[in-house]
Amino acid sequence: MRGKVSRKTIFAFIGPAVIGLALVGIAPLAYAIWTSLHFFNLTKLRKVKFIGLDNYGSVLSDPVFWEAMGRTFFLLGTALPLQIAFGLCISLVLHQPGLSLLKSLTRLSLVLPMATTYAVVGLLGQVMFNQKFGVVNQLLGGAGINWIGDPTNAFAMIIFWDVWQWTPFVALVLLAGLTMVPGEVEEAARLETKKKWIVLRHVQLPFLVPGLVAILILRTADTLKLFDMVFTLTRGGPGASTEFISLMIQRVGFRGFDQGLASAQAIILLIITIVLAQVYIRVFYKEV
Amino acid sequence: MKLNRLPAAAAAAAIFATGALADGHGWSLKKAAEPYAGTTVDVVFLLRPGYEAIEAMLPAFEEETGININIIKHPYENALGEQVRDFVAGGDLDIALIDLVWIGNFAENEWILPIDEFTSNEALVDPDLDIDDFFPLVLNAFGGWNGTIYGLPFDNYSGLLFYNTCILEEAGFDGPPQTWQELKDVYGPALTKDGKHAFALQSKRNETQSADSFARVIWPFGGSFLDENFRSNLLSEESQAGLMFRQDLMQYMPDGIVAYDHAETVNAFAQGDVAMITEWSAFYSTVVSPETSKVADCVAIAPEPTGPAGRKPALGGFSLAVAAQADDDERAAAWLFIQWATSKANAGEYLERGGVPARVSAYADPALAETFKFIPALVESWQDGVPEFRPRFAEWPEITEIVQEWGSKIMLGEVSTEEGARILGERMEAVLEEAGYYSGDKPLAQ
Repeated sequence: MRGKVSRKTIFAFIGPAVIGLALVGIAPLAYAIWTSLHFFNLTKLRKVKFIGLDNYGSVLSDPVFWEAMGRTFFLLGTALPLQIAFGLCISLVLHQPGLSLLKSLTRLSLVLPMATTYAVVGLLGQVMFNQKFGVVNQLLGGAGINWIGDPTNAFAMIIFWDVWQWTPFVALVLLAGLTMVPGEVEEAARLETKKKWIVLRHVQLPFLVPGLVAILILRTADTLKLFDMVFTLTRGGPGASTEFISLMIQRVGFRGFDQGLASAQAIILLIITIVLAQVYIRVFYKEV
Repeated sequence: MKLNRLPAAAAAAAIFATGALADGHGWSLKKAAEPYAGTTVDVVFLLRPGYEAIEAMLPAFEEETGININIIKHPYENALGEQVRDFVAGGDLDIALIDLVWIGNFAENEWILPIDEFTSNEALVDPDLDIDDFFPLVLNAFGGWNGTIYGLPFDNYSGLLFYNTCILEEAGFDGPPQTWQELKDVYGPALTKDGKHAFALQSKRNETQSADSFARVIWPFGGSFLDENFRSNLLSEESQAGLMFRQDLMQYMPDGIVAYDHAETVNAFAQGDVAMITEWSAFYSTVVSPETSKVADCVAIAPEPTGPAGRKPALGGFSLAVAAQADDDERAAAWLFIQWATSKANAGEYLERGGVPARVSAYADPALAETFKFIPALVESWQDGVPEFRPRFAEWPEITEIVQEWGSKIMLGEVSTEEGARILGERMEAVLEEAGYYSGDKPLAQ
């Protein structure tokens, strides 16, 4: 059967995708690698020259880069567990039998935060967390908390919005995992024990692992490239308290115009993302 | 003159002034533009009152000349990046909108043309151009680089002290503070109470931190970014005094002042929550309009307070220059537009519509100060400003990022003024060394 498909047909189906990927993915990546090996500042194009790995050396020895990276992983380390915890709770509730109309409506409403544009979330945050007029402080009884101008509060605000926007995604992925558990197995387990934790740990969790790995990979990649929401909400401030790695790269490349250095930062970020994805797959998949 | 009667009357006056009157010299805008009718000129505008003013006046120009002006609007923070990318890529922009700190960058990259190319062409130059009618400080700072004039001042600002006379009088003051020290020591404690604050200094981490906050406190105290050898001067006694003064003054400012941009600061003043702000003249129309200000009747304006080194008000603004990438027709059309937009003849209408012209003659009528209360303070500020209030060389985009980061950290108390200034200075010098200032490859021009 396979031998009957001509090469032309295969190319006709796969070729456009490969060419598209090469144009929008591979070519810019190759250009970024080339740029990262050069002194390449948009406002000093007469001075473009090959400098080998100097940009990479500058990035790796720059404490500001590592501070931004640390901040990014701190965000990931705080927001992702919250998203998984809340998402798991929501998915378990939605997995319960009965109340089908309410659950359908809940599933639909879960899509809304995800469908909201990042930049809009940031602008909403600016208004809602305004110290004087914001609805958040009004709900807190006119607490007058300085959200945007205080480094710690600003970071907490970013965590809040990230959790708000992406918990539904986690919930829906885990809900899909729960529906994969064979009904008779789950029913048998519930007859064996009344402890929901035991059922979750030994029956449902194995079916959730592939989804969790996907969540880990996607949310890690999303957090590492988190930009729009933070840019419109705090612009990385106050000080550098919410300057995550993608904001720093944008600042270096598009406000300082040092495209060479920014490309080196982006390539290093890409390598870190790929390594982390591999680690997630190897560590977590092996346990299943 | 009522504003609603302005368009027809003022347009007619402007065209008459630039066209018919100039006919006496054998030159008219209409005649000069004839070869370029149908040409489209692309220009970046900001979302600010001065740009809305000229946009409202534009139909008269387009009708007279047949030249189409295509305006591309950007917020300030995007304007530099958009223009740099356009010039690097050989894009469509025919006019460069130049903040005074971008002029070195644009000139050194040869993205803009000196005005000599046009003023030497009798067919294009308006006999009433009168370059000497621009405030010299403004012309040189906004449009000049290394002894050459590239742009004509278009959207012009000076830092001014906006104060709320009602709040000040209630507290027993019959006028604004004359010195920064007085503002902090006398007005600060008296006006900071019941949830209100004496002062707000916009300090958000963007150009606002560098221009409106950091530079504003170092110059009046005798400090500066660089010394005469282009080494950091931020650890000097004077610069440190200015930075420490800002830290002390923060107790009389609203919480979270490091997150305040122009909008938040002007709004706090317009809502009556803050008694005094130092802001650009361009925000005058916002704070005196009852539609946008609760304190419109209480607004008064003075020059910025003096420091130990005298009055060193913030200086900012934009010029328009012809882009080198434009073709010959576009260059000529662009020049005619720039010349028209910044002309003496149009300065009055531009002022009436919310713009701030840089023409000396526009402010000659003393009666104008009754309508536009900022004029006396503005004119005084433009007599003795510091052109290098922020260095204008090509490296400023990199340096301002460093100032923004460490200036904010100093304000937040994450580092001391001394430690912050030391790190900032080291990084600033690294940029300048890379650029070739210390090896003698580049002249020490700022």
